[in-house]
Amino acid sequence: MELRKYIFRRLIEIAIIFFVILTVLFLLFRLAPGDPVTRMVDPNMTPEDAEHLIEQLGLDQPIGLQYLYYVKNFVTGNFGVSFHYGQPVADIILNRLPNTVLLFTTSIILSALFGIFLGKIAAWRKGESTDTWMTIGALICHTVFLPWLALILIWLFAYKVGWFPLTGMISAEVWIDPEAGFLEKAWDIVHHMILPLGTLFMIHFGSYLLIMRSSMLDTLKEDYILTARAKGLEEKTIRNHHAAPNAALPVVTSVGLSLAFSINGGALTETVFTWPGIGRELVFSVSNNDYPLAQASFLLIAAVVLLANLVVDVLYAYLDPRIRYE
Amino acid sequence: MMGRFVGAWRLFRENLIGRIGLTLLIVFALMAVCSFIPPLIDPMYQPMHGVDPEISHSTGPSMKHWLGTDFIGRDIFSQLLAGARIAFMVGISAAFMSIFLGTLIGMIAGYAGKTVDMALMRLADMIMVMPTLLVVLILSSLFGQLHIWTIVLIIALFRWPGVSRVIRAQTLSLKQRPFIEAAKVAGASHVRIIFRHITPNVLPLALLYMTFRVTSAIIIEAALAFLGFGDPGTVSWGMMLQWVWKTGHMFQAPYWLLPPGICISLLTLSFYMLGRAMEEILDPRLRQEGASD
Repeated sequence: MELRKYIFRRLIEIAIIFFVILTVLFLLFRLAPGDPVTRMVDPNMTPEDAEHLIEQLGLDQPIGLQYLYYVKNFVTGNFGVSFHYGQPVADIILNRLPNTVLLFTTSIILSALFGIFLGKIAAWRKGESTDTWMTIGALICHTVFLPWLALILIWLFAYKVGWFPLTGMISAEVWIDPEAGFLEKAWDIVHHMILPLGTLFMIHFGSYLLIMRSSMLDTLKEDYILTARAKGLEEKTIRNHHAAPNAALPVVTSVGLSLAFSINGGALTETVFTWPGIGRELVFSVSNNDYPLAQASFLLIAAVVLLANLVVDVLYAYLDPRIRYE
Repeated sequence: MMGRFVGAWRLFRENLIGRIGLTLLIVFALMAVCSFIPPLIDPMYQPMHGVDPEISHSTGPSMKHWLGTDFIGRDIFSQLLAGARIAFMVGISAAFMSIFLGTLIGMIAGYAGKTVDMALMRLADMIMVMPTLLVVLILSSLFGQLHIWTIVLIIALFRWPGVSRVIRAQTLSLKQRPFIEAAKVAGASHVRIIFRHITPNVLPLALLYMTFRVTSAIIIEAALAFLGFGDPGTVSWGMMLQWVWKTGHMFQAPYWLLPPGICISLLTLSFYMLGRAMEEILDPRLRQEGASD
């Protein structure tokens, strides 16, 4: 019950924040030089289609009414028509969303698990050479420039060695082939995903390792670890069952705190690998002055970040029974 | 004050990570300083428009061009030096501005409390969830090509919330100390208490956060330039990477692909290492805070 109340309250908060973002974006689009009609209506449209769209988006109305139309269209999912694709924007972004979620969540989960595992070991061997090398490695992973890392991985593993495809998410020949089964198609996606996944994994994994390491070092100083030692428990049991679960909590917090930062990285990765996700669509639409698509992708990303923050908070409260939903 | 500084320096010298960071930083600072020299020798080494008249395509390293040339015969080494200058300029000025804002807002929120505190922290929460790079992208699509100082300003405006939270927490605990009480009794105004009594105590923490902000500002500018939204009047490392990527030279010209990426990565690494070393010296318990970005 308590949890449900907490989620409900947070959802209202998120709705308010989102509404503010929506409004600021509306104002920015009106403040920018040029008029809103040229921004939202493709210059290459037939006059009748353009007329229809202007009416739908309320662009011929005074600014106050325009805002109401804008909110109404947002609620009903009408974002206008993309200049580049000539399709409704909502269809495009709904089509791209699963690809982004797939790549992003897989990379975050994998890197958090590996970061926690290796961070635990590094802290346990504090001062030994294993620890030093792991720390330095993690620092390098954390600060390497992401687009460059992506280019280097493509150069090495896709071009030189040829293990993976250069870019994209699927190979057309597999998907056209009527005989290709589900497994072959799934493998095709995984094959394309390994390099972008590896890029995001490296970037995140370093910081999770560093956080886990320092949190583990703090935990090892706690009284209950001393108690466990005094009871004569095995060192491995103390490390894996008494210290690590508690030490892993800050990693969960940091996943939430660094989400905005990770989204930037996700967009860059998708762009370099031409992974058909929301982040790439945003970069692409901004480059092509495809304003309706840019606006909708941005709003969708903001909504995803806000909701993901909530998920992380709930997960944290679930993992740590000491937390009360306040 | 002097004694404290000497003591901190001694601790710093014993810190391996801090030493590596400082050494790297000095190398890059030298590069930035040297960026003024090559154009003086020969206009061909102008990073932006200096073209070797004998070369019309990308060539590998030679005696004349130590790191080779790019697709229209511009010297890569002198571009690399100019990039160091831009990276320092962007990183330090954006970090300085965001720390200034964050410290000021954090102190005001912590000191004033109640409604002011709540309003400022809510604003901070809201800005914190915005992916800065994508925000700058949207702005540059609306307002056209952004000038380098506009980019710096936007980065600063979106990177203060993390700092202000830490400074606010510090201010809250300082507010309870007897010396603030004493200052109040002595009749000091709020402004005086904030600037004379609280500021000196939060400044070390603010400086520490500055090193982490330099890192993120450099990365954001480089990423922006890489995507093709940098200031076209400057040569930055991100832009060099964009050129090698967009002109399709990345498979043929490792001499062009490698240096800018290594420079960005090492410069951010050096500021990050410096920050971690300072953190350990200032307060070992703070260690996990900065790692999140």
